[in-house]
Amino acid sequence: MTSANFATPSDSNTPKSNAKVGLSALGIALAMLGLGYASVPLYRMFCQVTGLNGTTQRVDAAQANAVAITDKQMSIRFDANTAPGLAWDFRPERATETVTIGARDMATFLAKNNSNRPITGTATFNVTPVQAGIYFTKVQCFCFTEQTLQPGEEVRMPVLFYVDPAIIDDPDTADIEQITLSYTFYESTKG
Amino acid sequence: MATTATPETLPVHDDAHDLHSHADHKPPFFQRWFMSTNHKDIGTLYLIFAIFAGVIGGAVSGIMRAELAAPGIQYLSWWTSFLGGNGANFDETLHLWNVLISAHGLIMVFFMVMPAVIGGFGNWFVPLMIGAPDMAFPRMNNISFWLTFFAFISLMTSAFMPGGTGMGAGTGWTVYAPLSTSGSPGPAVDFAIFSLHLAGAASIMGAINFITTIFNMRAPGMTLHKMPLFVWSVLVTAFLLLLALPVLAAAITMLLTDRNFGTTFFDPAGGGDPILYQHLFWFFGHPEVYIMILPGFGIVSQIVSTFSKKPVFGYLGMAYAMVAIGVVGFIVWAHHMYTVGLSVNEKMYFTAATMVIAVPTGIKIFSWIATMWGGSLEFKSPMWWALGFIFLFTVGGVTGVVLANGGIDDNLHDTYYVVAHFHYVLSLGAVTALFAGWWYWFPKMFGKMHSEFLAKLQFVFFFVGVNTLFFPMHFLGMQGMPRRYPDYTPAFELWNKVATDGYMIMSVSMLIFFVNVIYSLVAGKKAAPNYWGEGATTLEWTLSSPPPFHQFETLPVIDDKAAH
Amino acid sequence: MRATTIRGRSGDNLVPDLQLQRGPIVLKIRKEGDRLVMGIRRTVQFIAGAATSLAILPQVAMAAVATADAPVAVATAAAAEVATGGYVPMKPTPGKGMPEDGAIWFQDQYSPIGDYGSWMHDAILMPLITVITLFVLLLMLWVMVRYRKSRNPVASKTSHNTLIEVIWTGLPVLILLGIAVPSIDLLATQYESPPKNAVTVKVNGYQWYWGYEYPDNGGFEVISNMLPEAEAIANGEPSQLAVDNRMVVPVGVPIRIQTMGMDVIHSFAVPSLWFKLDAVPGRLNEKTMFIKEPGVYYGQCSELCGARHGYMPIAVEALPMAQYEAWVLEQGGELPSSKQAPAKAAPAAATPAAAAVAAPSDKTAPEAEKPAAADSTTA
Repeated sequence: MTSANFATPSDSNTPKSNAKVGLSALGIALAMLGLGYASVPLYRMFCQVTGLNGTTQRVDAAQANAVAITDKQMSIRFDANTAPGLAWDFRPERATETVTIGARDMATFLAKNNSNRPITGTATFNVTPVQAGIYFTKVQCFCFTEQTLQPGEEVRMPVLFYVDPAIIDDPDTADIEQITLSYTFYESTKG
Repeated sequence: MATTATPETLPVHDDAHDLHSHADHKPPFFQRWFMSTNHKDIGTLYLIFAIFAGVIGGAVSGIMRAELAAPGIQYLSWWTSFLGGNGANFDETLHLWNVLISAHGLIMVFFMVMPAVIGGFGNWFVPLMIGAPDMAFPRMNNISFWLTFFAFISLMTSAFMPGGTGMGAGTGWTVYAPLSTSGSPGPAVDFAIFSLHLAGAASIMGAINFITTIFNMRAPGMTLHKMPLFVWSVLVTAFLLLLALPVLAAAITMLLTDRNFGTTFFDPAGGGDPILYQHLFWFFGHPEVYIMILPGFGIVSQIVSTFSKKPVFGYLGMAYAMVAIGVVGFIVWAHHMYTVGLSVNEKMYFTAATMVIAVPTGIKIFSWIATMWGGSLEFKSPMWWALGFIFLFTVGGVTGVVLANGGIDDNLHDTYYVVAHFHYVLSLGAVTALFAGWWYWFPKMFGKMHSEFLAKLQFVFFFVGVNTLFFPMHFLGMQGMPRRYPDYTPAFELWNKVATDGYMIMSVSMLIFFVNVIYSLVAGKKAAPNYWGEGATTLEWTLSSPPPFHQFETLPVIDDKAAH
Repeated sequence: MRATTIRGRSGDNLVPDLQLQRGPIVLKIRKEGDRLVMGIRRTVQFIAGAATSLAILPQVAMAAVATADAPVAVATAAAAEVATGGYVPMKPTPGKGMPEDGAIWFQDQYSPIGDYGSWMHDAILMPLITVITLFVLLLMLWVMVRYRKSRNPVASKTSHNTLIEVIWTGLPVLILLGIAVPSIDLLATQYESPPKNAVTVKVNGYQWYWGYEYPDNGGFEVISNMLPEAEAIANGEPSQLAVDNRMVVPVGVPIRIQTMGMDVIHSFAVPSLWFKLDAVPGRLNEKTMFIKEPGVYYGQCSELCGARHGYMPIAVEALPMAQYEAWVLEQGGELPSSKQAPAKAAPAAATPAAAAVAAPSDKTAPEAEKPAAADSTTA
């Protein structure tokens, strides 16, 4: 910005050059402000790309078909939570399952609306250990969209996923024997 | 020393006698103090403001230490009723505790240390040291000060607004979501956030002003590599402010909209992530601790050099160590978040990156000692404070190396060990540097000599007091006492009691401070232009004490051949 | 499948008394005197301990960590208690798993990672930072004496010495590299993932109490509130730390702790187990816990979570596996059919998943309809 000033003694201070330096500095501040806001989508993208925070991956069926099935097993644990104030029962059909790494598997969650009004819920999710996020791939999930349950209604919510075989070769994840897939349902703020 | 400008190399007006007629023409009271555009007057305003805020922040910590002197809830319910709440309500009483810890942090960071070192000493001495007549944007300088002032008013107002379980914002100075969003209904947190907005805007304006002043308004011959280290420290600090504060502004604006306008930036219900707030906060928060300490480094460098009668050892190393600390300070933030559930790779990276900071910090400590090596040391009061700073900062620095290890932090995170660590670098570091600078420049700013005896006595009480206050907190933290607790199991009583005793010793030193200030202003001898003698070589010592209202109407010329 | 047993009170019933909790003044002074004596005694112990730490070779400490994995002796007082009948909360051992009067060091550690972490601190970091601080202090004192004005009236003009500047930049780098090696290894050890059949406890943080859910044992949840001071003392437990219902876990096996915040962020921390993990809303966290011997281990919430942040302590009770299982059954929970996780026979048995149970299939989440049929690849 002011590399000229860096090397040489400053000459007489004209208001013009002050304004220039001042505005450059202001520009830096505004850029950082923009970066602050941009961090929200950037962070989300970063998590999605790198699996940071145990963010799961998402592919379509065609991509999923191309995955090689291994002979190794992985235990999967399912965890279900509801936000306080959300009058739903929400639980996995089974607490744990054993799947073959690379093979698609279907897990089912059960949800019931205990209130006397229709409620639309939206689920957040992650997996633990967090470093497994990049290898935990969903093909179909109830969490991709909002779910509306009528009063007293009970539904089964399936998720179709597989564990990427690359998990076996990554030194950070090679010793993982069980991955937990966790969901938390919140009442949708839009609904 | 960076500059070796001696009176011989300067124009004749160093004594300012001939300038009194016009350069000392001061505007009337209201214009001078309320619409001030003079960097020295604004600096004075900042210093008075910082002292005032410091008294309030210190009193808040007094209430906290009194409460923590023994297990159980002693005084909090009384204070709750006193402040207009219902002291019989347990939650409201405990909420007050959270308000106190939040207020103490926010006041000391944003309204005491920052206004004092940057607004106060920065405004006063950056233009003097680089030979400039004033700051680049004097009116913006004024706006900065009054924004800070109203930010403080906004924060004080928040204490009397509903904030969820009680009156005031009880979110901690970190204002973590979702405690600060869905967890704290009521306008108190909004007022506190607004206060941070104002203070942040003020600091960004200040940063722009310092950067422009330092880049553009140096006297002929004052190259960047001849600037005194205090100016360097303010320059690096200004860049840190410029890069870090807008990120905080964005983060807390998103908090505000999450609170009031239904957005879900940090709310998992709408796909947000509360951990993102922590990332943004600490992206600002870690540079912020360097913002508080770097000008202290600069002040200590000036003082050590002055009283050793030697130029600073390894000047370039010192300047670029500060730049390095500033740069590295931006890539270590998540070491404040080791327990949120980071992956092993993130934790390893932040452990390694954090430890790197120890290197430039070590360079500074060793360079100060090397500056004294071979010098002719005079132990005037500022030197006592500066030496105290070097030692206390070392203690705080090495516990930082301990905490940098993610695996160790798993036990120490959010315990009193952390409280001890950051008070050693900030309360005992930055504040010690503040007092060092105060007694170094007090006669220069106000024209009256202070009592050396009282300034040294104050140091003795301060040194004994803060060590008694904060050292036992290492013990409490290692035993597992969490921070932000108003009550504790009786096993923690001994060291809490000792800490409270330390607070009382420290508060005696504050009394001595005020006695000394009042005594000096009333009865102090008139200060000479250079009252520290041959060791004081920077440009402010070529001017009268206090300097004329307008200085350097003819720019000083710095000897080009002068080497440091 | 989910027999949710809610025991104990909700957070709202808890109203610790607010009265001044101080004894007669004379008593108090005597007590403080005692504490001071204890503090001094502990200081002496510390110095002796630090000397030992310095002497201990890293290999020895590592060996200690390794042996921690060995099977744990089961015979304890608790065993006798259980033999006579139902679960009786274990009496805590003074000084074990809780802070001690006037202590100045870590709580004794009861997990392998705690042994490793405290060794790393006691044998590497602490000696190092002590030496560095004393070195700086001695240099300062030497300079202050040797170069005072009366002794050295004329200052030298030296302001550079490239060699020494390179040394004091390079040496810290080497020291930090020395720290980094064990530090990174400590981190890697902490992140070792629990085995698939590990006992799993889901720790839910609420404002302001904890819930301990046992998903493999029928999914019951134990609600844990702080005991009022009088009750804690009557139980022989430390006040501010005692709870009505503890988190009961087996000893000597890896435990999978999963945390989640139900309203705001909390943090599940037990100092004597070197364990701290935030409970974040909408995001599951996981970490391995391993307790070497039976006992009661206290902890406290370690992330500011609102008014009663200081009033939601944690008590972990580690029991031998048989007693732990007896406790589970007493809670109305069930034991996994084998000691393994209830593994499904084969993924192929992924059953008619898309068919709704109580609702017609059109109520099933729409996106999931088709893939169920196309699921034949699973095998």
